Amino acid sequence: MSLNQDAQTELTRIAVTAGQILHQHGAESRLVEQTTQRIGLALGAQSIELSVSSDAIVITSLFEGNCITTTRRCYDRGINMQMVCDVLRICVMLEKRLLDATQVKERLARLTPFKYNRWLVVLMIGFSCSSFSHFFGGDWPVYITTFFASSAAMILRQELAHRHHNPFVNFSLAAFLATSIASLGVLFEFGDKPQIAMAASVLLLVPGFPLINAVSDMLKGHISTGIARWVFATLLTISVSIGIVASMALTGVSGWIH
Amino acid sequence: MEYFIELLKLIIIDALFAAVPAVGFAMVFNVPKKMLVYCAIGGAFAHSLRFLLMDFGVQIEWATLIASSSMGFLGLYWSRKRLIPRPVFTVASVIPMIPGSFAFTTVIGLVELNSAGYSVEMMQIVTENGLKTLFILGALSFGLALPSILIYRGRPIV
Repeated sequence: MSLNQDAQTELTRIAVTAGQILHQHGAESRLVEQTTQRIGLALGAQSIELSVSSDAIVITSLFEGNCITTTRRCYDRGINMQMVCDVLRICVMLEKRLLDATQVKERLARLTPFKYNRWLVVLMIGFSCSSFSHFFGGDWPVYITTFFASSAAMILRQELAHRHHNPFVNFSLAAFLATSIASLGVLFEFGDKPQIAMAASVLLLVPGFPLINAVSDMLKGHISTGIARWVFATLLTISVSIGIVASMALTGVSGWIH
Repeated sequence: MEYFIELLKLIIIDALFAAVPAVGFAMVFNVPKKMLVYCAIGGAFAHSLRFLLMDFGVQIEWATLIASSSMGFLGLYWSRKRLIPRPVFTVASVIPMIPGSFAFTTVIGLVELNSAGYSVEMMQIVTENGLKTLFILGALSFGLALPSILIYRGRPIV
């Protein structure tokens, strides 16, 4: 296979777009690295060198002594596994020679993030946090309190995220709302152990995906990316806790540490 | 015999209640519709396995490690079968086991240490919950990463 300068530039751009989409939608660094390299190699490059950092990727393609380097900033666009699946499917199809370079480019450009109906998500998150309250030993009244507290927090979280508010502000306000609603259950003594609702209703704000990605990045050798993700997740946890503490100070209900 | 039926009933209830958050959080992560059923099965399987192990007296960290590594290998099988990257099912499936409460208790304890002054009891709460958070989380992620660390060393899974 031979490549001229233009074709190599084109190849590098296609590979970096795929990597950028993966990185922006919450794939772990190993997956970003591997998929970008596979796409580049399948398009005919001799080697793809890639540097993944927490908010950008730098990629160099090599072909017979020619290097082309390009950088892309990766702004966080929210976790979206459907985009990750689609990019990987394009990669596999390219490796099996079912697509050529122009088709890959066109398909990558056509990808649009799929989102579930927001009210359906609110309902499911309400039930999820209520299930957590069951794990903590809560009874039916606590289940109901948790459902309403966490659904309200989820609506607030979606609204603020939609308006591009800072995630830390978003999470602490949502935690404040959830804890305030759940503390009503304690004030009116709704159920046997109403404090459980306060603990369970904020669990929708646990940054689970960033934490798991952080540890698995560090395990697989991307230490600096892992540390960045870990710090981000820790800051989110701290802002949620600040929201909880603010609410408990205002209402005077103590649900966490007795 | 009666003990086993009672245990089985508890496990089934635990599995049903764990499937709900797995699907709920999978929807927050925008997992494709066809994969939601895998997330439900995975969540139910992993959490009920941990429940069973803890019922036998295994410590929560080790039980989490065993449950999450089984989930990692189950995810490997599904991933090869459906040509879908592994985090799509595995992360949502272990969400019910994330030590969120421990993490929040730790930070709230730290805030209290600052506002109410140092006390041994509060420091004990912070240390115990913080260590639990770290070890459970480490076990969880390590278990999930096990197939790609042990078998697919440096090779792509799909």
